[in-house]
Amino acid sequence: MSTSEVYDRWRSRLFPDHVIGEILSKNWIDNAIPFLFLIVTITTFGTILPNFLAVGGLSDQARELGEIVFVVLGMTIVMLAGGIDLSVGSTFALSNFVMLAAFNWQHLPVGVAIGLALLSGAIVGLVNGILVGYLRLRAFLTTLVTLIIVRAIDDTLVLKYSVAVGALNDSSNIWNFISDGDFYGAPPVFIVAMLVAIVGHIFLTRLRPGWHILAVGGSRRSAHNAGLSVRRTVAMTYVMSGIAAAAGGVFYASRLASAGASTGVGLEVTALTAAVLGGNSLGGGRGSVAKALLGAVIVLIINNSLVRMGLKSGAGSLVLGIVLLVAVGIDVRWLKNRLNVLSAVYVSPSYFKMLPCPSTAEGSDSVYALNDKLRDVELIGLGEIDGAEDPLLDEDDHLYFGNRQGDIIRYFGPDHKKSEIYAHIGGTPLGMAFDRQGNLTTCVAGMGLYQVRKDTREVIKLTDETNRSWFSIIDDSRMRLADDLDIAPDGRIFFSEATVRFDQHEWMVDALEARGNGRIICYDPRDKSTKTVVPNIRFPNGVCLAHDAKSIYYGTTWGCTVERFWIEGPKAGSVETIIANLPGYADNINRSSDGHYWLAIVGMRTPAFDLALRKPGFRRRMVRRVAQDEWLFPQMNVGNVIKFTDKGDVIDCLWDKRGVNHPMLTSCNEHKGYLYLGGVYNNRVGKYKIPGADPTFTNQRSYWGAKA
Amino acid sequence: MIGFLRDALDAWRGGGTYSVAVPPMDGALRPNQALEEADEALAIEAPDNLTRFGERVLFSSGRAVHALEARDGGFAASRFAQFDAPVSAMAADSNGGVVVGLGSGKLVVRGGKHDGETIDKVGDRRTMCPTALAFVDSDTLLVALGSQQNPPEKWKHDLMQRNASGSVWRVKLGGGAATCLADRLAFPYGVYPAADGAVLVSESWQNRILRVVPGAKPTVLLADITGFPARLAPRADKAGAWLAVFAPRSQLIEFVLRERDYREQMMREMDDEFWIAPSLAAPRSFLEPLQGGALKQLGILKPWAPTRSYGLVVQLDDSFEPKLSFHSRADGRRHGITSCLELGGRLLATSKGGDAILSLSISDAKRK
Repeated sequence: MSTSEVYDRWRSRLFPDHVIGEILSKNWIDNAIPFLFLIVTITTFGTILPNFLAVGGLSDQARELGEIVFVVLGMTIVMLAGGIDLSVGSTFALSNFVMLAAFNWQHLPVGVAIGLALLSGAIVGLVNGILVGYLRLRAFLTTLVTLIIVRAIDDTLVLKYSVAVGALNDSSNIWNFISDGDFYGAPPVFIVAMLVAIVGHIFLTRLRPGWHILAVGGSRRSAHNAGLSVRRTVAMTYVMSGIAAAAGGVFYASRLASAGASTGVGLEVTALTAAVLGGNSLGGGRGSVAKALLGAVIVLIINNSLVRMGLKSGAGSLVLGIVLLVAVGIDVRWLKNRLNVLSAVYVSPSYFKMLPCPSTAEGSDSVYALNDKLRDVELIGLGEIDGAEDPLLDEDDHLYFGNRQGDIIRYFGPDHKKSEIYAHIGGTPLGMAFDRQGNLTTCVAGMGLYQVRKDTREVIKLTDETNRSWFSIIDDSRMRLADDLDIAPDGRIFFSEATVRFDQHEWMVDALEARGNGRIICYDPRDKSTKTVVPNIRFPNGVCLAHDAKSIYYGTTWGCTVERFWIEGPKAGSVETIIANLPGYADNINRSSDGHYWLAIVGMRTPAFDLALRKPGFRRRMVRRVAQDEWLFPQMNVGNVIKFTDKGDVIDCLWDKRGVNHPMLTSCNEHKGYLYLGGVYNNRVGKYKIPGADPTFTNQRSYWGAKA
Repeated sequence: MIGFLRDALDAWRGGGTYSVAVPPMDGALRPNQALEEADEALAIEAPDNLTRFGERVLFSSGRAVHALEARDGGFAASRFAQFDAPVSAMAADSNGGVVVGLGSGKLVVRGGKHDGETIDKVGDRRTMCPTALAFVDSDTLLVALGSQQNPPEKWKHDLMQRNASGSVWRVKLGGGAATCLADRLAFPYGVYPAADGAVLVSESWQNRILRVVPGAKPTVLLADITGFPARLAPRADKAGAWLAVFAPRSQLIEFVLRERDYREQMMREMDDEFWIAPSLAAPRSFLEPLQGGALKQLGILKPWAPTRSYGLVVQLDDSFEPKLSFHSRADGRRHGITSCLELGGRLLATSKGGDAILSLSISDAKRK
C-alpha cells in the first residue's frame, strides 16, 4: 500500500470531510462572514487602540448601541421585504424633536410624549408605506424624498424652537431613569433594544406577519400568487421602520436632551451599512434580527474607534462607505455562489478498499458465472410502468409496486394485464411488505414508513422520525430515504434508510462517498416508538426476515455484502457478515420457497470504480470539475439475481445476459413458482418460471401461516 | 515563479491546462444518425485502412488485406493478401504497388516497382508503430509512426502514458534516404499529401491537424477537434479532406488524463478494455466503467449519454474547417471509425469497433 493510500485511509477515518458540506448547507452559515468580520474588527481595533475594551466606555457604548439597534432593526425589516428606507435619519431627528417638545416644552406626561414621538415616526413611515407599497413608487427615490422633506421640517422646527425644547424638565423619575439610570449596570435603552430584538426575532421567525414579510421579500410574485397582500405587507414594514427609528430618537432625546441640526444626519448610511454588513440581503427575503445586531455592533465599533483614533469626521464616513461597498459586494457574491460552493463540497468521498472482485466470466467455475437464464422472462406492463422498485404479490395474485408519481399500482392477477392505482401516497414507494392483517406496509422515499389499510385503502403514516444522533450536523432524525422493510412476528417493523445525506433522485451519488451514511431502523407498533438499531452502514438495502424469524438479513449496496442482524435469542442486537464480497451491489432480499433467500444485485462492480473507491481525492476532484452526468458511477446497467442459504453460501445465479429486459435489477420476489423481477428505472416487471419451485409458495403463507 | 504559481492555482481550481472542458458538438458537428443508419456494405471483424487501388478498394482486417467487390447489389470481400502480423496501415500507388505497415514493426511492399521491399527502420527509428501511409509518387512514401514506445494495438497505453514520441517521415523506396518531416508528435494517425507539397498530419492525442512543411515548424490547421482524429482521405472534388474520428473526447477521460496517480495505478492493475479511456467499440462487458448519464432509463440508453466510443466522420473544406459530419451516437454500435473513402458519390467508412464497413450516400445524408 502506497504512502498516499495510507494517508487517504487515515484521513477518511479521522477527518470528517462531509461535515464541511453539511455546515455549508445550514441556514446559519449566512452569519459566518459577518461574525468573522466582527472578530477581525475587534482584534484590529483592539490592537491599535489602548483600553479598547475598558469597562468605563462600555456603558456609553451600550447606550449608543441601543439607539442604533432600533434604527437598524427598522431598516432590516424594510430590507427583508425587498425595500430600503433612507428616511430613518430624518425620522430619528423628528422624533427627537417631538419628544423634547412634548416633554420639556409642553410638559406633557412622559408616556404621552413618548407616544407622540413614536406616532410622528409612524406617520412618516405610513407616508413611505403608502407611496411605496400601495402606489408602487420606487423605494429608493421615495424615501430619499421623505428624507429631505422630513429633514426640512425638522430643521425649520429646530431653528424656531431649539431653545424652548432644550429647557430641562426634571419632573419625571421615569425619564430620569431612562436618561441615565441603569439596570444591573446596563442602561435601559440597551435592555429595551434587546427586548425589542427578541420580540422582533420571534415576530420574523415564528409569526405569520413576519413570514409574510420574508415571503414578499423573497419573491413578490410568488407571494402575490400565494394570496398574500403584498402591498399591505410592504407598507407595514415602512410603518415599523418609522416607529423603530422614532424609538431610537426618543432614547437619543433622553441621552442628550437637545435638538440640533445635525441630529441623525447620515444615520441612514450607518443603518444600511450595519444591516448589509450583518448579512441581510439587499435583495430581500434573506436576513434576521441576529444579523442586524451583529452588523450594528460592527458598525458602532468601527465608528467609535475611528473617532477615538482622531480621524476627521469626513474620514469616518469614507471608511464606513468603503465598508458598505465591500459588504454589498460580498452580499452579492455570496448569494450568487453559496450554492455553487455547497454543491462543489457537499459530496465528500471517503477511502474504501474492497476485497478483490469475484469472477463473473462466462463458462468459469465461479458461482457468479455469466449465463442467460433470464432470457425468456414473461413481461408484465411493458412500457406502462415507470419504475417498479419492489414488486409484491398478495394471496390473490395481484401485483403491487410503487412508481415515481407517488402511487402504488396494482396489476390484477392472475394474468396481470389490467391495472389500477391502488393508493396515492405522494412520495416514491420503494420496499413493500404485507403485515399479518394484509395491510400493505411500504417505505416511501423522502417520507418515511407508511401503511395502506387493506379494508379502506386509507394511507397511514407509521413513522417519519427516529432518534437524532448526537454528533450529526444535519438533522438525521427525519427520514430521507427509507428503502426496504420487513415485519417480525411480534409486529416490529425493521427497515433500512439507505442514506441520510442524499435524496431519492441522487441516491447513486452516495456511491461516490462510500461512507456509512445509512442505517437500520426499528418501528415498534406496540408503543409507536422508532429507533435506530444499526447506524453507519454503506447504503443498507433489502431487509428480509429469516425463515426462523430470529434475525433479519440486509444487504449493503456499496459495501457489496449481506449482513445478518439478530433480533432475538442470545445474539440479539449483534451484526454478522454473511456474504463478504459480492461481485455487484446488493439490493432487495426476499425469501425463497426452498428455505433460502433471493438477492437482487442491482449493478456490477467495475475495476475502474473499485480503484476509484481507494482514491477519495480523485473522486473529490472529479465531482468538482466534471459535469454530473459525466461522473464515474457504479455499473448499473447490468444486474442479476442470486440465491443464498442462511449461512451465506451462494447456490444459484440468474443473469439477463443481453441486458435488454432487466438492465438494472432492484428486486425479485417469489410467488407460486415464479420470480417477479423489478427495477427502479425500468418500464417492465419480469416473470421468471423457477424450475422446480414450490407452486404454492406465497410470502403471506411463509410469514403469517395459512389463512385461518 | 509566476508560471509556477499559476500552475498551482490552475491545478487547485481546475483551470488552464487542468481544465477538462471539451469542445461541444455544434455547428457542422451537430449530431445526426447518418452513420448509424448507413447501409452495411460488409460485416467483417475490425475493418481498417480503406484504400483506393486502381479501380478496386482494399481494406485490412486483422492480418489480412481484402478487396471490397460489388456483387449482386451488395459487397463482398475477397482475400488479397495475408501477413504474419496485424495490418495497422496501408497505402497503394497507381502503378500496382501496395505497402502495408504491420503491428510487428515492419513496412512491407507487395506488387509494383518495389515488390518485396521490407523496411523496419526509417532514419534512426524502428518502425514500431506504423499508423498511416501514403504514396506521394511511386517511389516516395509518407510514413506516420504513432509512437516509439507502443505497438499500434496498444494505442490506449500510449494515450494514457501521455506520450508524444510519434514522427512523420518521407521515405524514398528502393533503399533511398528517409527524411524526418516532424518529430515528437502525440500519435500521428493520418497523413495526407497536399497539392502544394506540404503534408497534413492528424495528431491524435492533441486532437488537431497539423500542416507540415519540410524544414519548418508544423503549423496547426485545425485545433480542438471534439474527438481523437484518425486518418485523412481525399474528397472527390479535391477540396479539403475527409477526416475519420475514432473516439470522442469526454470530460471524464480528460480528467483521468490529468490524474497521474489514478491513471498509473489503472494501467498497472487493470486490463486496458476496462480502463477509463477512449474505446473503439461500444461497451461489450459490464466490467467497463459507466458514467452517470449513461444509466439506462426505462430500458433506453439516451443517444446523448456520455460515452467512451463514438462514430464520426467529418468533411473538411478548403480551409480545413468542418463543413459536414456523420455520426453514430452513444446508443449506436457503429463506433471507432478509423478510415473512410469517397467513391462515386458514396462514402465508405470502416467501423473498426462495430465490425462493419459502412456505405452511405453523401447527398442523401446531407439532405437529412
